[in-house]
Amino acid sequence: MAVEVRLPRLGQGMEAGTIVRWLKAKGDPVAKGEPLYELDTDKVTQEVEAEADGVLLEILVPEGEAAVGTTVAIIGEAGEDVSALLAAQTSVGDGAGPASTPRTEEPHGAEAERERGARVDEEPGAGARGGPELRPSVAPEARGSEPQRRTEPAAAAARRPGERVKASPLARRIARERGIDLAAIVGTGPEGRVIAEDVEQAAAESAWAPATPALAVPGGATEVEVVPLSSVRRTIARRLSEAWEAPVFQLTVSANASELVATRERMVALLREGEVRPTVSDVLTKLVAVALVRHPAVNAHFLDDAIHRYSTARVGLAVAAPTGLVVPVIWSAERRTVQEIAVARADLVERAREGKLQLVDLEGGTFTISNLGMYGIEQFTAVLNPPQVAILAVGAIEERPQVVGGELVVAPALTMTLTCDHRALDGSDGADFLRTVKEYVEAPALAL
Amino acid sequence: MPELTYREAVRDALRKALREDERVFLMGEDIAEMGGSMAVTQGLLEEFGPQRVRNTPISEMAIVGSGIGAAIQGMRPVVEIMYEDFLTLSMEQLVNQAAKHRTMSGGQVRVPLTVRTQGGAGWSPGAQHAQQLEAWFVHVPGLKVVFASTPEDVRGLLWSSIYDDNPVLFFEHRTLYPIKGEVPEELEPIPLGKARVHREGEDVTVVATGRLVHEALRAAEEAERDGVSVEVVDPRTLLPLDEETIIASVRKTTRCVTAHEAVTRGGFGAELAAVIQHGAFDWLDAPIERVGAKFAPLPFAPVMEQYVVPHAEDVYEAIRRTVARG
Repeated sequence: MAVEVRLPRLGQGMEAGTIVRWLKAKGDPVAKGEPLYELDTDKVTQEVEAEADGVLLEILVPEGEAAVGTTVAIIGEAGEDVSALLAAQTSVGDGAGPASTPRTEEPHGAEAERERGARVDEEPGAGARGGPELRPSVAPEARGSEPQRRTEPAAAAARRPGERVKASPLARRIARERGIDLAAIVGTGPEGRVIAEDVEQAAAESAWAPATPALAVPGGATEVEVVPLSSVRRTIARRLSEAWEAPVFQLTVSANASELVATRERMVALLREGEVRPTVSDVLTKLVAVALVRHPAVNAHFLDDAIHRYSTARVGLAVAAPTGLVVPVIWSAERRTVQEIAVARADLVERAREGKLQLVDLEGGTFTISNLGMYGIEQFTAVLNPPQVAILAVGAIEERPQVVGGELVVAPALTMTLTCDHRALDGSDGADFLRTVKEYVEAPALAL
Repeated sequence: MPELTYREAVRDALRKALREDERVFLMGEDIAEMGGSMAVTQGLLEEFGPQRVRNTPISEMAIVGSGIGAAIQGMRPVVEIMYEDFLTLSMEQLVNQAAKHRTMSGGQVRVPLTVRTQGGAGWSPGAQHAQQLEAWFVHVPGLKVVFASTPEDVRGLLWSSIYDDNPVLFFEHRTLYPIKGEVPEELEPIPLGKARVHREGEDVTVVATGRLVHEALRAAEEAERDGVSVEVVDPRTLLPLDEETIIASVRKTTRCVTAHEAVTRGGFGAELAAVIQHGAFDWLDAPIERVGAKFAPLPFAPVMEQYVVPHAEDVYEAIRRTVARG
């Protein structure tokens, strides 16, 4: 019995993925658990395993992007007739065929969707669509326009006008509160149930103007390099644009870093051969984590109707990976030693650079540190990493003239800037936290 | 903090109560010289003598009935029913007498009786010596029902049960007796009706009791590797139930799995599911999943027994179903 290989959902919030390459060719035997293809999500690239034994009969999405749940291949017995399955796939807007969706000025909104649904149903051949089990097969070109990607299959998903929409109670409540028509949303839950994330996604998309597709460049490729957005880049763009809408303020403080530098040097001096050397950033991660636990208002997420404060600091570290910025997270940083943080950081950074981070490495952060000190940047402001309510931008440690006990001395100093989401934090909350961080930087022993 | 086994923690609470309060005494089958069939009361006869650690005839009806009488007369008896399967023989005393006296007498009579008992599969005891019958008693107004899953909880909750003015059914789990856990230096009473959040999470709440608390925690670790963050809550007291904590948790995570070793049908998970759907209806993003034993008398054969009762894998799969797409 042939089974459809569907694009899996590898983590919360994943909507689509890009198939990088197939590790098996059409006709190859596959065993359950064997790597089948490489999937690039907006966070990581990982191998996806076969979920059934058999022969890879068809590859429907050779490479490129597809929505979660899309049938990307078929596994069955050698010689098995899968034409019925294939017909079901290709009948959706010509399936994965690239030229399937040449629409330009489609009307948006639930009303229009229902109209289109009705119209499509009257078209000859509509009966061959395969019923409600059918999943949308999304061609790469269709991805340029997000709202269409989501709403088009709503019509194709055989939900007739007036037909009851299956939706979770939570999805119904969110839709009611935001005035969203559930009928226009494709459910990705079991049996096509609309779940909360589908509504959130629809809400985000109606607010978010789709990126203009790459324009034809008059001067030719020699003058302008057109870089298609990777899924990581697209996620960065979307999330940071959202973050930009938050009302933020910045607080800046400079601290004498003599003790910080000295502490780290003493730690390095005590290392045994082969141990990971802690950096100043590692010490800073620890200090910030301890400060966060003392100031839970800063160690928080701002969600729609509540602020969630956390009792443990999961500190995200902004890392420049080849594909773009990623923020792996060190959990319970306040409870780890600096050495343990160094080991965790070294592992995360190495895997980030190799593109081997797993989703679990990137989730759950309650605060982020962005450090551009190694580039010699004196100070800068970072953009919020929602739903976190604050982010700390750390500049370089450099010798600066300072007044210590009425005397002018030259000593290492660093400047830190805290960006705060004013919806969750007031100036005094951020200032309190930053004062603690400064005290710890100037006397790290207080936090170690 | 010192470490005790679950068995030692029960004994510790009994010993402390026996030392500090003359009204406390123990009754049960073979609890004196033999120290109980599960060795929980070992050593207590030597310390407190046969007046306060009393062997009884093999009559559960008499054990509970005389416990009720002593409680009404001002004592704080702790009686042991060797296997909870044998509670069936004392149902008249528990359901029609112990549970009713306080209200039927307009509050003039109180029955501060604690009935300790144990059950649970995992060691091939067969169909009549390992059932999980706690849900039956949750249906009876006038009783309190406790089911502790850790040494710390079993000690603090047993103390509170002894000093509760109502009859308390106190369930222990056979396979948890040897587990070790940290307990406070001094016994700290744990109030009845207060749940414990064993682990915080964002995506799914597992409400588990008894052995399944430990299975749920294992399943949660496994799910964490898939990027699913699981909160594990143990109600500890089934009656009265800490609805507030459980509902708040499900409102946060929007999904829920209930888990116990008792058979699923008509089990405590059904009551939980009803409470949760009412209290968190507009927050639920998936149907509530129930994990429990298959609907079958427990087989002797170990492989069959393992097949019937739930394990961490069953909880894990239920978690996966609640976050499933398509």
